Amino acid sequence: MYFAGIDIGSTITKIVITNQHKILSSVIQRTGAEHRRRAHQIMADALAKAGFSADDLDYIVATGYGRINVPFADSQVTEITCHMRGISWLSPNVKTIIDIGGQDCKGIKVKDGRLVDFIMNDKCAAGTGRFFEIIAKVLGIALEDIGPISLKSKNPAEISNLCTVFAEQEALLRLSEGVPIEDIVAGIHKANASRIYGMIRKIKIEEVVAITGGGAKNVGLCRCLQDRLQMPVWIPPEPLITGALGAALIAGEKAARINSGALSGIKSKRRWDAATFFGEDRKDVVSVSSDQ
Amino acid sequence: MFVAGLDIGSAFSRAVIMHNGNLVSTALRPTEGNFRKAIHDVLSEVLAGAGINPSEIDVMGACGLGAVFIDQPIPKIADLSCLSRGTHFLLPDIRNIIEVGNQYSRVIKINDRGKVADSLVSDKCAAGSGRILQIIANVLGVGIDELGPLSLQATRPAKFTSSCAVFLETEAISRVAEGIPVPDIVAGLHHTLTTKIVAMTSRLQISGDCAMTGGGAMDQGLVRMMEKELGFTLQVPEQFMVAGAIGAALIAAERGT
Repeated sequence: MYFAGIDIGSTITKIVITNQHKILSSVIQRTGAEHRRRAHQIMADALAKAGFSADDLDYIVATGYGRINVPFADSQVTEITCHMRGISWLSPNVKTIIDIGGQDCKGIKVKDGRLVDFIMNDKCAAGTGRFFEIIAKVLGIALEDIGPISLKSKNPAEISNLCTVFAEQEALLRLSEGVPIEDIVAGIHKANASRIYGMIRKIKIEEVVAITGGGAKNVGLCRCLQDRLQMPVWIPPEPLITGALGAALIAGEKAARINSGALSGIKSKRRWDAATFFGEDRKDVVSVSSDQ
Repeated sequence: MFVAGLDIGSAFSRAVIMHNGNLVSTALRPTEGNFRKAIHDVLSEVLAGAGINPSEIDVMGACGLGAVFIDQPIPKIADLSCLSRGTHFLLPDIRNIIEVGNQYSRVIKINDRGKVADSLVSDKCAAGSGRILQIIANVLGVGIDELGPLSLQATRPAKFTSSCAVFLETEAISRVAEGIPVPDIVAGLHHTLTTKIVAMTSRLQISGDCAMTGGGAMDQGLVRMMEKELGFTLQVPEQFMVAGAIGAALIAAERGT
């Protein structure tokens, strides 16, 4: 049997296709402005990569900020649950997850696969991917280079502003004063790591600590967080897909509890026409099933 | 006695000359990232306006984040005290001030002599200060001075869910793409900023006799929206832009004698 998990983030959409034992394929693409229209396109790419057709998938679970608008998903599950499942499957010893996304940052405390505590910032761009995107752009650096550049610094600059807008100004001011770019970038990483740490410590950090999301791919940020935590951090090989992986695993569990007749019935209800949802939020059309 | 006051801020630099308790000359310039030049230029301008030489100044006081760049050994006075004293000079009957500056917003209670009784300041967050107005003006491709008139034309202010300038900017761009009229977008953003300020006035229990100052007071749309949400009128003194500089001059004069 085959299962799929789709995690629609504000910035990036991730899809993982599994069988009962392992990951078969995964796809990571930018969500774009109209995620309702992109989801089925990205799924088509994931299927092509795995060599499947849509009908081969026995159960599909959607998660992430865009999960309600996936007309081909068989059910929706919250991100926290999916991240927890995904990470626990990859590394059962993880007790604290720091998920650094494009527009938010979360702390998830896990014990024996169950959620113990949770904290999130989705109000302020500081501590999220957005901050780094903006600073990289203003300094003329590619986003994927910002981490490695920060590691070159021997003397991180003091960045006193946590607000992205003012930090951007401060960074440019430092640059005009002749401060080396790696020191500025390192200062930015330090400030953001402090901000993230300040939030996460409220859920009492315990080892093993995992970092997921786009922020986990930033070596500079991970190093700074490790320094603040005074603990080693574990980063999964593909930190962006833990949510989609968890969704696929949950899809497998849900399917196992349904007989094959009912499964076919569920499959037939899937809609692959994204145009159905174009233009307005059709909240009355979508059914939201409860998560574990 | 000629007294000079300087207020060197991140966005604007201001200077005043007072003589026997009257305002004789004022000057205002954008700082544009160069504090030393702004200080030099604004001082020259205000002296020329008063028709006096630097040597004729008896006392000078300064405030503002850029005051550290003033070479002369003149007293550097707290912004809060200067703004309060200066606004009191301009409007002796008010007992409360709302200041919407470039980096923060502030709410102040003062006594009948213009001294600070209590105050609250917003976090250094662009969405809680006049900075958000600049950002949105850029997004909409309008001058910051057009925001006021535009907002007054709004029929249905757009709703914004974010409280962060970065996310608000993205939302504003979406609203433009959705075809929401520009006046409605501006009014929606004014509402976001107003909400943050009203939270502070509520905490200080301000219910009237209130002045509005800072760059944000230039925006008539913001002023009207705040009056609506607050439920009382706001007085914007004609010389509100130099209130801080006036306060610096008056306090320096008092300390000097």
